[in-house]
Amino acid sequence: MSEVKTANIDLSSLIKGQENLKFADEEIMLHTKDLKVFYGDKEAVHGITMEIPKNCVTAFIGPSGCGKSTLLRCFNRMNDLVDNCSIGGEIILDDRNIYGKDVEVAELRRRVGMVFQKPNPFPKSIYENVAYGLRIQGVKKKRIIDETVEWALKSAALWDEVKDRLHESALGLSGGQQQRLVIARTIAVKPEVLLLDEPASALDPISTLKIEELIHELKKDFTIIIVTHNMQQAARVSDYTAFMYMGDLIEFGVTDTLFTNPEKKQTEDYITGRFG
Amino acid sequence: MTTNDTNTEGFSSHISKRFNEELEQIRTELLAMGGIVERQVHQSVEALLTGDVQLAEEALAIDIQTNAMELKIDERCTSIIARRQPAASDLRLIVSISKAVVDLERMGDEAVRICRQTIELNASGSSQHGFQEVRHIGNLVRTMVKDVLTAFARGDVEEAYKVAKSDRSVDQEYRSAMRTLVSLMMEDPRSISSCLNVIWVLRSLERIGDHSRNMAEHIIYLVSGQNVRHQSLSEMKTAVEQSIDL
Repeated sequence: MSEVKTANIDLSSLIKGQENLKFADEEIMLHTKDLKVFYGDKEAVHGITMEIPKNCVTAFIGPSGCGKSTLLRCFNRMNDLVDNCSIGGEIILDDRNIYGKDVEVAELRRRVGMVFQKPNPFPKSIYENVAYGLRIQGVKKKRIIDETVEWALKSAALWDEVKDRLHESALGLSGGQQQRLVIARTIAVKPEVLLLDEPASALDPISTLKIEELIHELKKDFTIIIVTHNMQQAARVSDYTAFMYMGDLIEFGVTDTLFTNPEKKQTEDYITGRFG
Repeated sequence: MTTNDTNTEGFSSHISKRFNEELEQIRTELLAMGGIVERQVHQSVEALLTGDVQLAEEALAIDIQTNAMELKIDERCTSIIARRQPAASDLRLIVSISKAVVDLERMGDEAVRICRQTIELNASGSSQHGFQEVRHIGNLVRTMVKDVLTAFARGDVEEAYKVAKSDRSVDQEYRSAMRTLVSLMMEDPRSISSCLNVIWVLRSLERIGDHSRNMAEHIIYLVSGQNVRHQSLSEMKTAVEQSIDL
């Protein structure tokens, strides 16, 4: 993995839309530096420089096509799977550029897990869904797998609902339960960062609230980045919110401030529904 | 009515524990602010009656805390509205708290006026003569403040109604005291200056009574959802009875 020198770079000269952002004693988990994403010739994300604080929830909001999901997918190189997609700039995790030539993508995706909009449990039992990542990693001891499955399901606030039917098919669970199962499956391999791409948009309001409560609980152990169309959801769950528009980071700030007194007019227009 | 959907047990039904905590915190902070204002009112009246300048200065200093708490609670209300989009009883709680802090802060301001009277009187060497007349109305108002805070803590609409009803007694006492003072001034024009000081204090106490009644109205709105502002006591009583029957 190539070493990237970060200590001497003055980020303040690069940072747009976050002039007054000060992380209150938070350690920084991820940096992006002048990150650009291209689909063919088209630049979808225009040179974003930002810092993602550790053990916090950072939300990306913005209208469709603003680049928030594209940006999210950069954090675990999911864009590598998209044809014609190329990346410029850097994302730094542990002083290393995750786009370095010698980075093992599978290991990166273990460290940076992702949950998608639609719950996607495997057609296996509830237990096997959660154990899957461990088995792939070569964990064979049943005791360790049992303990981890229980821990992951408890952390995902699903244990009480499924503990008596662990060996039944995961496809029999409700949508909200399936999404929590997918979160349990993701955290079972002990990632450091959780990427959530519209994790509750296919769920009913109560399941949505359960997922939001879960996100709040999980941030103690993980750094969470969430993309959501639902501004109110971002307001409820996140510590920091980034507003994106047409591939640019317009404003990045403390959620409380951004939703009560945003600095940029574009942010104000978007969150008050005056947009367009 | 001592149990309702705004007490601590009710909050536990939220899926979001953090939202529970935020509502509980803001409610606790309002009661803490109420406690400070209650002390401020008590000390201001006591200082006036006993001519205790030190006590008046203490009560005056408390006002910084009252003002700071008003700002803090107000900020929390704004944040909860922006981030949580509260509905139904939660929304009524936030709206009621947002209004109640204004009333509490104004009560603190009236207490400050009474303290300043005490300090000025002492500095000018005037006697406390005449101020004994405010003792009774002062006691009535202090009880109202205490009771309205208890009613808020318990979500007790009957108690809130009693507080609103007491405001009528305060108003009667106020008018009666004013008549006495006017007579006194007519009989002895040399007493006009000291009588005016008493009138200012009475006016402040009467205003504290009004703010207590406002808070009682916020409690009835919070618990029953019925807006009883600008309504007669009998209409208020009907609203309270209906909410208890439900």
